[in-house]
Amino acid sequence: MGKKCLEYINDLNDYLDGEIEPSLCAEIEAHVGECNNCRIMVDTLRQTVKLCREGKEEKLPESLENKLNGMLKAHWEKKFGKQS
Amino acid sequence: MNEKEDIKLAQSGDFKAFNRLIESNKSKLYSLALKMTGNKLDAEDIVSETLIKAIDNIEKFRGESAFGTWLYSIALNQSRAHLAKQKQTDLKDFDEYLPGNNSEELHQQKNLQLFDWDDPHSQLESAELRKIIQQAIDELPFKFKEVFLLRYLEELSIKEIAEMIDETVASTKSRVLRAKLVVRDSLSKTFEERYGQKMS
Repeated sequence: MGKKCLEYINDLNDYLDGEIEPSLCAEIEAHVGECNNCRIMVDTLRQTVKLCREGKEEKLPESLENKLNGMLKAHWEKKFGKQS
Repeated sequence: MNEKEDIKLAQSGDFKAFNRLIESNKSKLYSLALKMTGNKLDAEDIVSETLIKAIDNIEKFRGESAFGTWLYSIALNQSRAHLAKQKQTDLKDFDEYLPGNNSEELHQQKNLQLFDWDDPHSQLESAELRKIIQQAIDELPFKFKEVFLLRYLEELSIKEIAEMIDETVASTKSRVLRAKLVVRDSLSKTFEERYGQKMS
């Protein structure tokens, strides 16, 4: 990657999150249009986030849910006393 | 019943209100802990310990953040304790993750063209892809892993994460970007090994 590419690296978060000044955004887009490595970098960084977000919520295992119900109630009653 | 009312009720000893507060957060906490540790048993311990700590400290919660965000910060402390025994290394500088700036690549005069991923879903089975993604996240040292997951799994803002980890916005932003570059770099190497030759 050339010197120009490195100058943009610190702005990549804001650029990818769409939180960048329009003039800098246009500058980066013009550069990405000309530089194949930067195009791949931007594209693969976007894919990185997308892939890591996939299947993001794991369901709580039923055995843990059951364990928590009893354990938390017992701990609560130890602190606050028995609930009516 | 809204969150603020439930917090007041829970702080005065109402267990049902506490249950309502944690209900929507339990699975999220488990997902975060699982990604953080890569281990189901550790993740279960972290969720249990987090909720016990939340009971112990419920009256200290002042409502300056969402209740879920407060639970995340407790879960991060618990995760840190679980991962403390693991070897923590720092990351290389930013530019080491960019082609042509990596000392190893320069030394070996390797091809400095980045690998274009195409669509990993069309190249790899879903289960294999999930494993590769978790391995890439596992490679991150804790301080990078926590900000990466809070930003992209829990979708917290940079400002919220900065407050949670007691760092400046600039430093948090830089940490998130470094984490993202490292995960990208790891995924890229694996994808190139798995299907790079098939594509060329």
